[in-house]
Amino acid sequence: MTSKEILATREWREIFETLPVLQKFFGGDPAAHGLNGLLEGCTSYLEKLLAHADEGKPFVWYNLGFNSELIYALGGVHPVTIELLGALHSILGNQRNTLDFIDGAQAVGIPADCCSADKIAIGAIHKGLYPAPACTVGINTPCDAQVLSTQVMQELAGVPFFAVDVPYYHNEETVRHVAGQLRELIPFLEQHTGRRMDYDRLREVCEISNGTTEAIWEWLEWRKQVPLTQSSKLVAFTLLLQILFTGSPEGLKIARALLREARERTERKEKFFEERVRAVWYQDAVWTDLQIYDWFERELGLTVPVDIFGYYANEGLIDTATPETMLYGLARKLVNCHPMARQFRGDMDMYIRDFMHLLEAWKADCCIFAGHIACKHAWGGIGLFKEACRRAEVPLLVFEFDMFDPRVTPYEDVYFEVERFVNEIVYPRKLREGKA
Amino acid sequence: MPEAILREVRALIRGQTNRHVDSWKAAGRPVVGYFCSYVPREILLAAGALPFRLRGAGSEDSSRGDAYLSGRVCTYVRHVMSLALEGAYDFLDGEVSTNTCDHVRRSADVFVKKTAIPFHGFLSVPRTPRESLYGYYLGELKKLVDGLDRHFGVKIGADRLRDAIRMFNGVRARLHTINRMRLEDKPRLSGAEALAVHIASQVVPPTVFTELADRLIEALQGRAGLDSARGRLVLVGAELDEPEYVEALESQGALVVADQLCFGARSALDPIDAETADPLDAIGRAYFFMASCARMIGDFPRRWEQLKAMVRAARADGVVFERIIFCDPWGAELHNILQRVKKENAFPVLSLTREYNVVPTGQVKTRVQAFVEKIEIARAQRQAACGGER
Repeated sequence: MTSKEILATREWREIFETLPVLQKFFGGDPAAHGLNGLLEGCTSYLEKLLAHADEGKPFVWYNLGFNSELIYALGGVHPVTIELLGALHSILGNQRNTLDFIDGAQAVGIPADCCSADKIAIGAIHKGLYPAPACTVGINTPCDAQVLSTQVMQELAGVPFFAVDVPYYHNEETVRHVAGQLRELIPFLEQHTGRRMDYDRLREVCEISNGTTEAIWEWLEWRKQVPLTQSSKLVAFTLLLQILFTGSPEGLKIARALLREARERTERKEKFFEERVRAVWYQDAVWTDLQIYDWFERELGLTVPVDIFGYYANEGLIDTATPETMLYGLARKLVNCHPMARQFRGDMDMYIRDFMHLLEAWKADCCIFAGHIACKHAWGGIGLFKEACRRAEVPLLVFEFDMFDPRVTPYEDVYFEVERFVNEIVYPRKLREGKA
Repeated sequence: MPEAILREVRALIRGQTNRHVDSWKAAGRPVVGYFCSYVPREILLAAGALPFRLRGAGSEDSSRGDAYLSGRVCTYVRHVMSLALEGAYDFLDGEVSTNTCDHVRRSADVFVKKTAIPFHGFLSVPRTPRESLYGYYLGELKKLVDGLDRHFGVKIGADRLRDAIRMFNGVRARLHTINRMRLEDKPRLSGAEALAVHIASQVVPPTVFTELADRLIEALQGRAGLDSARGRLVLVGAELDEPEYVEALESQGALVVADQLCFGARSALDPIDAETADPLDAIGRAYFFMASCARMIGDFPRRWEQLKAMVRAARADGVVFERIIFCDPWGAELHNILQRVKKENAFPVLSLTREYNVVPTGQVKTRVQAFVEKIEIARAQRQAACGGER
């Protein structure tokens, strides 16, 4: 598949047409480093993808639970996460394409009750939109949906497949188990891409990855500021960053742009909006319309300083001393830091513990459990989560929606739920307690 | 008469417990429940406990389970959880959960935090049956052995494991015999009857089952075969422990002559070598590399070949795929089966999405009826093309 063939498809062409428009739009705000950085990063990544296709170099596909450092370290191999196109269309506002992928996946047998994050991947693969891979890598985190998408990816790609298993437990043995599989993955990647792992290059990639992580940590620190001095909608981008760009110069650039914006706005004491209520948005971002967060800010004074996709746990950086320490560090990043993989696997304790930490550290007043309908692991823990919130006396809103499909729950309904919660529950409570 | 024995089987699986479990308990012996077929029953038996497969049988209302698990989790798990929260499983001395899927995984949280069951074991079963991951599974089994040893004050040694293997090999041998009787041109028992027998093998002591199965097999020898002329089906899919469901499918004229169900034929496994030096390893290998569940990533090509071989061996006319709503792993399986069927022009497939504890009514029966008619028409066309031979 050449760049000409890629750009001949409507789905790719519209991405390349939309990006400059948005860059121009956000470029009007010289302080919007975060969004501008993200758009520039996406553009650079996609341009590399096109160049790579023209050079006939190999691609490796993977699902959203995996990180791309090892693939970058092979040199001359381009990672492609299979959710890429659907997610980009959703974020860039080309909702029609995302919905086409969802409907397309259902038309070929993916049950309607399965996750739309899988469907956007499968729909795009069925349309033949991604350059053919040399091999594929699947990981079972963060949830059963990945068990679905990886098995379908394997079947449709028809090339060698490697599965990474992440156990249930949050312990040292889990990290070592995954590190062992990454060691096993290297010869697999070498064999099927025809490239050799260069450990000096891996060190460089890990250092870039560490730089990205440090920038994210610092950025998240700035987001603890009361009132919040930057847009709520930016927070979920940590996940995108880690899935698409980790280990790449684009990733580092985006993370630093987010950090710069947070620092500058805070130092200027910019009052971005009138903050009345701060919420931890637990579970899934409204990818179908990130502008809804602007609406919350403007109309309700509701800010989201942190969410589960944005939180990147501080479990240490990758030690780049030896190949072994790097594989260990990458494994730890995959299972203990990667948003969702950290909280969604294993028992509910980590899920609840992280929430309580976010609530306290980011000084939130309440929790909004935005329940993507296909997140069975989260819905399966809702009873225990509600009990934990009740014990901690945390106001909790629970509602159902689909993070990629607005036909499930319209924006108006989401807004209605959130508005009622903020205006009738949380803000009056703050007033009563003299915290407003 | 096999009918009387089959009624006895039905009585054993009708509710949450049965008289043999009661007798086992009355003798002061523990009962340990388990969710998933990746939990080796031999280990539980070697600990002196009766392995008891958790089911939602007899549950009329999942609301207690729903309160913890929501309405977005599979109804099988919600019914089991409801029963547990109502106290119906209070007779259990322990339970062993797994990371089979998100649904079972979350029920494990509730089991631990909200029931009075005194022992909780857990197996993190690797998500792909690769040799390099087998060591992790074996390690998990060793931890389970240690946990059972400590809790029940026993020592699960090689001899106890060998005895347990022999016991369950006896169960397996009977199940294999029964499954062979299903493959005959005129099967000796229906798919619903066979499923009931398989379920019984998972909720009564193995010695009780082998005695029961021997009587049944002998009685079946004298039974006139059932008419499978309208259609021979293979049933494949997720958790199904409701013979009534299979009965409803078969009421439309076709017979389920083979299955790849977790509660059905897949639970039987091949015989395990009891005389080996390391029986725990033999058990581990048998379970880890058995015909896999759809939760096993990367193993679909093997499952597909096994399904095709089963269809051939059963001389089946079509495959019925059933899945409980909200199940992702079996959702992938459905997609992949449909892809292969199309690519290889393999066999007709009917896909049914269902809820636990809901017997098919008109709509499902109509679909099955139409599927059976489609099979009949295709067969008639083939026969016409081949000069009348089946």
